[in-house]
Amino acid sequence: MLLLFFVISVLLSASAFLFRNRAVTRILTLAFSVVLILFTVYGWSNLNETELAYFTFDSTGVLLLTVLAILSLPAIYHGFIYTADDSTKRYNIYHAGLIALMTFMAGAYLANTMTVLWIFVEATTLAVAVLIYHDRTEMALEAAWKYVFICSTGIALAYLGILFLGFIYGRGDAPNLSFESFSMVISNASPLYLKISFIFVLVGFSTKMGLFPMHTVTIDAHSVAPPPVSALISTTLMNVGFLAIFRVYKLFASTSVLPFMNHVLILAGLLSLLTAAGYMLKAKHLKRMLAYSSLENMGLVAIAIGAGATGYYAALLLIILHSFAKSSLFYQMGQLSRILHTFKLDACGRYMKLYPAGAMVLLTGMICILAIPPSGLFISELMIFRGLVGNGQWFVLIVSIILLCFVIYAMSIRIMHITFSDPRDEEGSKLPGAVSPVETVSQFFLLAIVIMLCFYQPPFLADMINQSFAILPR
Amino acid sequence: MINYLIVLFAITLMYFSSADRLITYVKLIAIQGLLLCGIAIFELKEVNTPNLLFIVAETLLFKTLILPWLLARILHRSGVTKVHRLAMPGFYLLIFSIFGLLISVILAKILINPYINTIYLAIALFTLVTGLLLIVTHKLIISHLIGFLIIENAVFMFSLAVGSEMPMLINIGILLDIFVGVLILGFFGLRLKPHTNELTLLKD
Repeated sequence: MLLLFFVISVLLSASAFLFRNRAVTRILTLAFSVVLILFTVYGWSNLNETELAYFTFDSTGVLLLTVLAILSLPAIYHGFIYTADDSTKRYNIYHAGLIALMTFMAGAYLANTMTVLWIFVEATTLAVAVLIYHDRTEMALEAAWKYVFICSTGIALAYLGILFLGFIYGRGDAPNLSFESFSMVISNASPLYLKISFIFVLVGFSTKMGLFPMHTVTIDAHSVAPPPVSALISTTLMNVGFLAIFRVYKLFASTSVLPFMNHVLILAGLLSLLTAAGYMLKAKHLKRMLAYSSLENMGLVAIAIGAGATGYYAALLLIILHSFAKSSLFYQMGQLSRILHTFKLDACGRYMKLYPAGAMVLLTGMICILAIPPSGLFISELMIFRGLVGNGQWFVLIVSIILLCFVIYAMSIRIMHITFSDPRDEEGSKLPGAVSPVETVSQFFLLAIVIMLCFYQPPFLADMINQSFAILPR
Repeated sequence: MINYLIVLFAITLMYFSSADRLITYVKLIAIQGLLLCGIAIFELKEVNTPNLLFIVAETLLFKTLILPWLLARILHRSGVTKVHRLAMPGFYLLIFSIFGLLISVILAKILINPYINTIYLAIALFTLVTGLLLIVTHKLIISHLIGFLIIENAVFMFSLAVGSEMPMLINIGILLDIFVGVLILGFFGLRLKPHTNELTLLKD
């Protein structure tokens, strides 16, 4: 089935690129979404099964694959709208790139071998570069260049981390560096090698997860990429980086380096929060503000993992909920730019009057992403803080809460300005565009999931999350 | 013989710090490709012949010929010749480089492992440090590209250290080579203005 999925995806992507017909491209892209959803259903019904030797439908992978499958439909729908005025060639390249990106992400989620995971992560860089460069402007070129360059450096560093894992094995012991074979020899490994390997992997894959210190790459990419692509970079692609780091963390968790990894993650998390809070306070570009909000959320995820115990559950719940809430906000940004013709904060205003449905998405999305009840993110953040209190990590707790206050202030004051105030500069006096309120349906749907999970988390979801960290020490 | 080649490789790294013409950088990249080819031939005795041929062809074709050719083409188009207009003076870079070598040797001693040649590890670490130094201390985009190629050579060196029984690791390193060679140099290298530091459109 996995082979079939990859073959169909490659064929759909290649066909979308080659057929110079928009209607055909549209059908092919929608067909891919259906295939992805069916593949996810197959994953749920074949949990913990291994296919093609290098892929396993484990709980974490399937959970993130489900998030991708759910987000694929709105991503494609908003992609159709965004590219409606493009030439057929660019239209086709965009959708072929989108299919390729989602296929590579699915491969990365399910990879059970370090090297295969690394290959798929590298492949996502290629696909995203194509999508970031979609508008063919100088800024798009610069953002794509920075993304490829920093990601390549990160990928090279992550590869060094993998090689250090290879050194642990010695020669002749490891044909493929699978996580399972690693787990058998990991207890004999030198802690120094494990620590070095973890640092390299963390820094390297941070380019994808968007954690400090490699966060700059995703921030620039967000401000230029088409909004539906920003939504994917900020959610499902960040989840790829998270998964790579989490898999190595899980692998090393049974050794003596666990406290070291926790300290490093908490430090990276706090620095991410600090950077996000600082830059959000002076953000003038709306998509950059949302990108810094992603940095803040990934920082919280790192702190949650570092806190351990209830933090593991909170981290995975946060990753899932953040994906839905942030996607809807990015899709809304696409509509906002069609109405106000800008992403600049000072040129935005009176959004409630111009487009009430969009303004409601912005306000609800703000409540959700800032973890204000009834957002499901509130539950996950509460669990993180409980974990920190339980560990007696008061300093981390207090610093996190103070920084989160800055984030809440920075974002809410900006969203309120867009929604209710008049624009500050003249650019905002352009004739507003028109967008149908129906386009916000998918955004309300995603936000509804985030709110629903505050009150009720279905047992199957809780079980899957619990399975994801079952082997970790409590 | 391998040790001689590795020491020669280290000398090329030191030479990066003192060179002040970009074409010298390009030649050094080509020489490093050739040296890595030699090291691969002598080191990978246990790898099967087709795999060895593939690795040798990759180092000769990509690292020694195609990548330097692409770099030379970028230099020719942009007309830039000197390194230090927008970089740290070579003298200071040389001092940093010597410190880098010292730290790499100490680290390699700490990380001593029965499966790895210490000289390999020391020079691979030094290569990584040199690449990062070049990226941090230079502002020209072309210097960043060369810094990245040096990091990539460090990765290749590391993978050779463990590669006798794990050819898959080397092959993946090669994948990175092709990725970088074709995309970064071939596409972005020719579209950006590599002789400038004009990457300031995106900022907060």
